[in-house]
Amino acid sequence: MFGLPLAFATPWLLTALLSLPVIWWLLRLTPPRPQEEVFPPTRILARLRPKEETPARSPWWLTLLRLLMAALVIIAMSGPVWNPEKSALTGEGPVLVVVDDGWASAQDWEIRKNTALSIVSQARETGRTVILVSTTGRENWTGTPLAPDEAAGLLEAAEARPFEPDHHATARRIGEIVRQSPPGHISWLSDGLSRNENTETLSQALSGLEAGKGIYNRVADDLLLIEQVRNEPAELYGDIVRADSSLSGEYAIEARDEEGIVLARSIVSYQPGQQRVRFSFQQPVELRNQITRLDVATVDNAGAVQLLDEANRRRLVGLISGEEFDQNQPLLSPLYYISRALEPFADLRRSENANVAASVPDLINQGVSAIVLADVGVIPEETVSTLQGWIEKGGLLIRFAGPRLAASPDSPLLPVDIRPGDRNLGGALSWEEPKPLAAFERESPFFGLDAPRDVLVKRQLLALQEARLEEKTWAVLEDGTPLVTADKIANGWIVLFHVGSDAEWSNLPLSGTFVEMLRKTVNLSRSTGISSPSDQAVSLPPLRLLNGSGEFSPPDISVKPLALSSNSQPVVSGENPPGFYGTEDAFSALNLFESETELELLATDSLQGDFEQHNYLTGKQFELKVWLLLGAALLLLVDCIVVLWMAGALRFAKPDIRSSVAGIVLVFSMILFSPADVLAQGSDNNETDFSSALETRLAYVRTGIAEIDEISEAGLRGLTLFLAQRTALEPGEPIGLDISSDELAFYSIIYWPVDPRAEIPTPETMARIDAFMKQGGSILFDTRDQVSGVYGGTAYSPAANALQQILSTLDIPPLEPVPSDHVITKSFYLLDSFPGRYTGGDLWVETTFTAETARNRPVRAGDGVSSILITSNDMAGAWAVDNSLRPLLPTVPPDPVQRNYAYRVGVNVVMYALTGNYKADQVHLPALLERLGQ
Amino acid sequence: MPPLGTIAPRETGRETMERARARASLIPDLLVEARRVANTVFSGWHGRRKRGIGENFWQFRPYLPGETMSRIDWRRSARDETSIFVQDKEWQAAHTVWLWVDESPSMLFRSEQATVAKQSRALVLAFAMAELLARSGERIGWLGNTKPILSRNAAERLAQALILSEPQTEFPVNPDLGPHSDIILFSDFLDPVDVNAQNLHDLFKRGARGHVVQLIDPVEEVFPYSGRVEFQDPESRETFTIGNAESLKQDYFAEIRSRTSAMRQLTGQLGWSFIRHHTDRLASEALVALHTHLGERGR
Repeated sequence: MFGLPLAFATPWLLTALLSLPVIWWLLRLTPPRPQEEVFPPTRILARLRPKEETPARSPWWLTLLRLLMAALVIIAMSGPVWNPEKSALTGEGPVLVVVDDGWASAQDWEIRKNTALSIVSQARETGRTVILVSTTGRENWTGTPLAPDEAAGLLEAAEARPFEPDHHATARRIGEIVRQSPPGHISWLSDGLSRNENTETLSQALSGLEAGKGIYNRVADDLLLIEQVRNEPAELYGDIVRADSSLSGEYAIEARDEEGIVLARSIVSYQPGQQRVRFSFQQPVELRNQITRLDVATVDNAGAVQLLDEANRRRLVGLISGEEFDQNQPLLSPLYYISRALEPFADLRRSENANVAASVPDLINQGVSAIVLADVGVIPEETVSTLQGWIEKGGLLIRFAGPRLAASPDSPLLPVDIRPGDRNLGGALSWEEPKPLAAFERESPFFGLDAPRDVLVKRQLLALQEARLEEKTWAVLEDGTPLVTADKIANGWIVLFHVGSDAEWSNLPLSGTFVEMLRKTVNLSRSTGISSPSDQAVSLPPLRLLNGSGEFSPPDISVKPLALSSNSQPVVSGENPPGFYGTEDAFSALNLFESETELELLATDSLQGDFEQHNYLTGKQFELKVWLLLGAALLLLVDCIVVLWMAGALRFAKPDIRSSVAGIVLVFSMILFSPADVLAQGSDNNETDFSSALETRLAYVRTGIAEIDEISEAGLRGLTLFLAQRTALEPGEPIGLDISSDELAFYSIIYWPVDPRAEIPTPETMARIDAFMKQGGSILFDTRDQVSGVYGGTAYSPAANALQQILSTLDIPPLEPVPSDHVITKSFYLLDSFPGRYTGGDLWVETTFTAETARNRPVRAGDGVSSILITSNDMAGAWAVDNSLRPLLPTVPPDPVQRNYAYRVGVNVVMYALTGNYKADQVHLPALLERLGQ
Repeated sequence: MPPLGTIAPRETGRETMERARARASLIPDLLVEARRVANTVFSGWHGRRKRGIGENFWQFRPYLPGETMSRIDWRRSARDETSIFVQDKEWQAAHTVWLWVDESPSMLFRSEQATVAKQSRALVLAFAMAELLARSGERIGWLGNTKPILSRNAAERLAQALILSEPQTEFPVNPDLGPHSDIILFSDFLDPVDVNAQNLHDLFKRGARGHVVQLIDPVEEVFPYSGRVEFQDPESRETFTIGNAESLKQDYFAEIRSRTSAMRQLTGQLGWSFIRHHTDRLASEALVALHTHLGERGR
């Protein structure tokens, strides 16, 4: 209507719009109801305005608002529909709906379903029955005429299925249906792909019918499939086939493991006209072997998923040795090192039978994916063909050299031809040294492994020169002679180690690299399928199946076990949708597309018969009624507010509004500004922390008492200068710490003047201190009361009490006064006392030795630094200097030597905190030097 | 949106009495100043601290020739051998105070900004005055309702009388006041100015000294109405609708101001006191003002 995709259910109701002018007139005349107020001085008011003054009319905008409201309601009642469906049905009789519900429909299944539903609802309006036909052959779409409601129910329940539509079978099926109930109209909901002659058959079958025909042709955006995925030694690759190759862009292919976790992602870009795009994963083979699923991240259909099964399998490896297995000398057995190397990642099957002819078929029947032949020279002809067939199916044959193989250079099943005899390096008759391995080439599957220099090869088999020798070589010796060669035969591999599997020819089997090389080699082996003893079919129960969208979903009722037999490939069908079959331990993957497939777009005009073109309903039709009514309701709300406002109802709300606006502004400003403040603070901290992290600096605890903090600052500054003058340590500016909030991790020693006036730290702060001390930090507590303390000690002074309170929450080890042989007495200067401003107070440290471990050693040192040092001598007071480097406080007694000693104590403490027991070790130096000299 | 003002239920003496007592207990004793010194006034309890007619002993003094023999205090004279004594009494004068509360429907108005209705506040003030005056031994009457009562519990008796009688909605016309009386009028005086003037003049002609208390609801003073409002007169039930109430505000204020000054001028001419009392204020304020006007004048 009006060129817009707009239609009305009951257009005649729109005539009610003509009444709008009347409504306008009425609304203009009816003023809003006044607020009623009792007011004693009304008489006075009446005298002021003898004439009753009333606005006879509402304001024009209010009237307009109400008119709009009325118009909205009228339009809403006439049932407007945006994007209305065009009736596409012709003729009379049942409507035949052919739906392509295969994998290619999965991405936009909703659109297809809605289109089908709209056809069904059109049929319902005209009272026609519906025949639903699925091109994938849904069992519950029986092809009988259904009541539209029933058909709608079936459609609602339907999902796209993970198969290719079978147009040929559908054509036959339609033929049967038509014979019973000839349709009046045919709608074909195509997935936009042509299946060549099959599709032609279908279009022929449809065009032969006497009925109106419509085709809905649409290919899903980005429709693509993945096929031909191969896991080669160097890379895992596959092809993306696109349906519409006119665009350029990128795909992200995701590789997932069994848990669905994305292991790797590969981005491929494509150009217009490029239908086939190759993607590859070059991750390490171990990682690639964990991949069980490849899909394209943005495309949800079953074709764009490839499931991989041979990965993630613990290989079964059969071992055959040409030598007698000697129980008494296991270390000399050629299989000993191989089995030790393989055990971590493979299940080993050792043949009971020493006879190769008997053991090989035996192992193959056990389903091994790799067979190791250690020094087997002669292989019976019959066994050769058995092995050959097994390798072609994906078996991996690993051979090791040895005297026997060297003796039979024309042994079959070798990757390269070998020279008779072996090469002897470094023996009595050779002037060559044993050779180490060369680094692995990039093309080699061993690339990335370390080639150990200490692996030396004394004897080896030599390969004959040939054209592809280099290509076949996986590892070489330093002089370029091949050490490991391999050849691909069909799906399988033959790998030859040119050395023996025991330690006789080389020490390679003794090295860790051998394990890694074997691991990489065995990872090459493809699963040769679920082992089936004969040609009997194995049937595997469904494990995890894909739905049309390429997601794993529980198997539905029609799914049957997958029959695997050696002579036929399983086919994807309704009974066997793509997915994993088998058990969690051993499963087989069934993919929608394995081999090369082409996607061809369906060209509608090339179809036989006169199909009328329709478009899928991309936008669902949209009923505007509810929204219009909602709009009218909103307008009504606005009107109410306006009327209330006009009646003066909001007058008392005004202050509230103002205050709430103020509140909102306040809240917003807090939101706006507070994070900035927080950030600012954070950046402050960061700056301090950065500089502290980059530079060693002394730190003290800010007590909050100004004079103590000043002395601490000045004292540490003095000590810093002294350190810089006398030692290799040049600390940065000392820093005062707020222990309750500052990060302590950057400081190795913190000076803490204890004062009874200072606040006792909170338990949270003490927990930080505890953590700091446990993580290796030291704290020098200074009660600074040696002079005022009673009994010449500090046990009962107020500062000592404060210290006790502080320490009561900490995990404090036993303490002792610094013994004369403690490392702190020697960490820089040799000291026998620890004076500060005062002298005589002991310096307490953690007890380093218990009695029984105390031995006569030159120095005591624990493994760590004492996390706590306690003094009462007011160290900072002695160290404190002013800006012109004069001491701030006198020592008690006044003695310049004492101050010098105080500085030395400081140096020793700092050195002790920074170097720990290093100095204790230095004490042993003479003894160590003496020993080294021997 | 509820209306700002409501018509409160009429309150009687019983509940207001309580509040009145509470208010009165805060106010010192009130002694109505006797305007005239005359022997003929009714005697009251309150001593005037001078010799005069009364019942209480004031002093003994020597008998002066010419006085009636009956005034000789023989008991006192017998104790003295030389002179004869006369007992003087203290002069006790009482005054009649008339109270009147307008109980017309407009007085029942109470806005949400006020704590009580005007009528309720007026009764409280009246009873508090009665209580105070009764304490001082004044004679109290309710204009148009009771005769003057001289009793300690005069206020209670007034309250009882009010309960029994019809509410007085009209201004008392030609009341029998008697001489030397004060009259306290509680009303909102919303009648036209000339009607009010006429009423007050009538009372003035009867020789009364008046105290006019005008009770005002805050809404009547602030006029917080806006928008489209239909005003209703509680007395006449007449309505007045206006589309834009704010527009009336300034005119209304001017009118209220002119009415107030007219009342002030009128009472000034009569020598009466005039108190405006808002019902959102404390009753005690008006009470103290009244106390001042009644007691302090002439002292």
